[in-house]
Amino acid sequence: MNKYGMLIDATICVGCRGCSVACKQWNDLPGSKTRNTGTYQNPPDLSAYTWTNIEYREIETGDQVAWAFLKRACMHCEHPACVSACPVQALHKLDSGPVVYDAHKCIGCRYCMVACPFGIPKIDFNKLLPEINKCTFCADRLDSGLPPACAKTCPAGAIRFGERDKLIAEAEARIAKNPAKYVNHVYGKKEAGGTSILYLSAVPFDRLGLPTLGPEPVPTLSEQVAIYGTPTALATVAAVLGGVYWITKRRIELAKPVAHGEKEKK
Amino acid sequence: MSATTATKKASFPPVFYVLGAITLFGLALGIYRIATSLGATTNLNAGYPWGLWIAFDFFAVPLSAGAFTLAAVLQIFNRKEYHGIAHLALLAGFLGYTMVILVLVLDINRWDQFYNVLLPPLWNLHSFMFEVAMSITLYFGVMVLELFPIVFGRKNWLAVQVVNQLIPFIAGVGVLLSTVHQSSIGAIFLILRYRLDPLWWSPIIPLLFFTSAVFGGLSVATLLAILTWRALRRPVPKHLLFGLTRVAAFVMALFLVLKFGDLLLAGEFGLMFSSGALSLVFWVEVILLVAAMVIYLSRLRENENILLIGTACTLVWLAINRSTVAWFALRAPAGATYFPTWIEIGIVVASFAAGILFYSLGLRYLPTLREGVIEEGH
Repeated sequence: MNKYGMLIDATICVGCRGCSVACKQWNDLPGSKTRNTGTYQNPPDLSAYTWTNIEYREIETGDQVAWAFLKRACMHCEHPACVSACPVQALHKLDSGPVVYDAHKCIGCRYCMVACPFGIPKIDFNKLLPEINKCTFCADRLDSGLPPACAKTCPAGAIRFGERDKLIAEAEARIAKNPAKYVNHVYGKKEAGGTSILYLSAVPFDRLGLPTLGPEPVPTLSEQVAIYGTPTALATVAAVLGGVYWITKRRIELAKPVAHGEKEKK
Repeated sequence: MSATTATKKASFPPVFYVLGAITLFGLALGIYRIATSLGATTNLNAGYPWGLWIAFDFFAVPLSAGAFTLAAVLQIFNRKEYHGIAHLALLAGFLGYTMVILVLVLDINRWDQFYNVLLPPLWNLHSFMFEVAMSITLYFGVMVLELFPIVFGRKNWLAVQVVNQLIPFIAGVGVLLSTVHQSSIGAIFLILRYRLDPLWWSPIIPLLFFTSAVFGGLSVATLLAILTWRALRRPVPKHLLFGLTRVAAFVMALFLVLKFGDLLLAGEFGLMFSSGALSLVFWVEVILLVAAMVIYLSRLRENENILLIGTACTLVWLAINRSTVAWFALRAPAGATYFPTWIEIGIVVASFAAGILFYSLGLRYLPTLREGVIEEGH
């Protein structure tokens, strides 16, 4: 099966928010009432009802100020922390790339929200029985051979949908062809073990608000401790407890005065 | 001697009614939370998906660790002289876990699907949240079994005899489960490497949580013993308590060695001074632990009130440490703020009130428990 991804070239994005609107249309998401916060960015952030959003930043280089737009949404990690964290397998990674969610399994512990290094999963705290909300990579559209709604609609051509491997090659080719224009880094190729969403940018990624992450998948240590550490700890503690129990019992049976116990009595 | 105390059933002191009223009020708040939403009752938000209630759970679990540490002392190390204290710690632990489970149900959005975590097809063995949920559930069952002969010890039931025969084994299973889940509560934070401040995040955080649960549990048991013996107007069996606090102090020393050694090896020693308010929290933690150690090991412990202060230092440390890890030191996105609502605070206050209330009622109405305490006082 093809493993899909999306290449988002921030240098091409014009900040029209068409992706955000297309996402709301396809996923039947309501608009949200917002207030002017002194920036063009609107809505101010991702939410339970805004699964992709354009972030507007004014970047100063020397005495020049330029807009930088970044389309944020779920990164659809190759090794997602949210999937690893979820106690009930309500989140899982599809072979084709999307990280999807099943509300019928969810207990609402919000460990996924805390575990995600990108802060993506959201929940509507005001609902009686809410569910976790985030971009689905239009997994339903992918099933029917359609590209995600945001990629389909982007008028500037900033969102390229395709096979992840090919997109990485293309991203690197774009950098090679135009090294002066891009930061020499494909964000998402290695970050946290790789993500389905890949970014190209003219300004360093940390200035775009993307976290600086190492190449190791976020859940690796936790999973290793869970799979190897837990049984090892269980076996060791059981052996120690059994051993101590046997020894103390035997000592009492032998009715010898216990040197250690004498000391304790002081 | 027990007959005199058992027949002397004075009416309830006013504090009982106050605790009862707070408990009932908390119950009403809980029902209101279930009927509305977390948004209507808490200040949780996208930047702070976890708040006071999670911090309470992370605190109350090691606060209830007296049950398993004393079970180990009594059943595994076979120190029968501790059986009175062990039973008190068991009752307190059982009540502590009850509160943890109730607050947890309030805190999860989908309380209607709570049971999902127990359905084998949904188990995620990679998730420490799963491991914690599972071991808390199993351990709760163990505590019910352990309490069974204490509650029904006077009845000549076959079940009581069977459980009594199996107690060393049941207690062993309880100690095993506790060891695992006190550690796995810490392991929940392993995956939060990018979120939890490096002064608290560590690959050995499971070990840090476990060791602190041990000295926390021993300290709670000491505190309970002093207060309970005083309430029953019996001389406090100090020699037994010194045994507990000595072990607690050694485990504290081990904890501090692990903590500082870990920061040193990670090359994060400087963070102790350069993290602003979090550095202050860090040093408050260190000072509280050192104060408790000094009291536990020195002649100061001979004074019951100072010994009480030592246990209080430990419990305040535990509260600060767990709240820091679960709340203050979890990095939130820029602009996000959180402070609990009065309802969140009310639920926590009511949980403690309910714990104290039912502990006192247990002491009053469980003759087996009270007699164990009185015997030990000699």
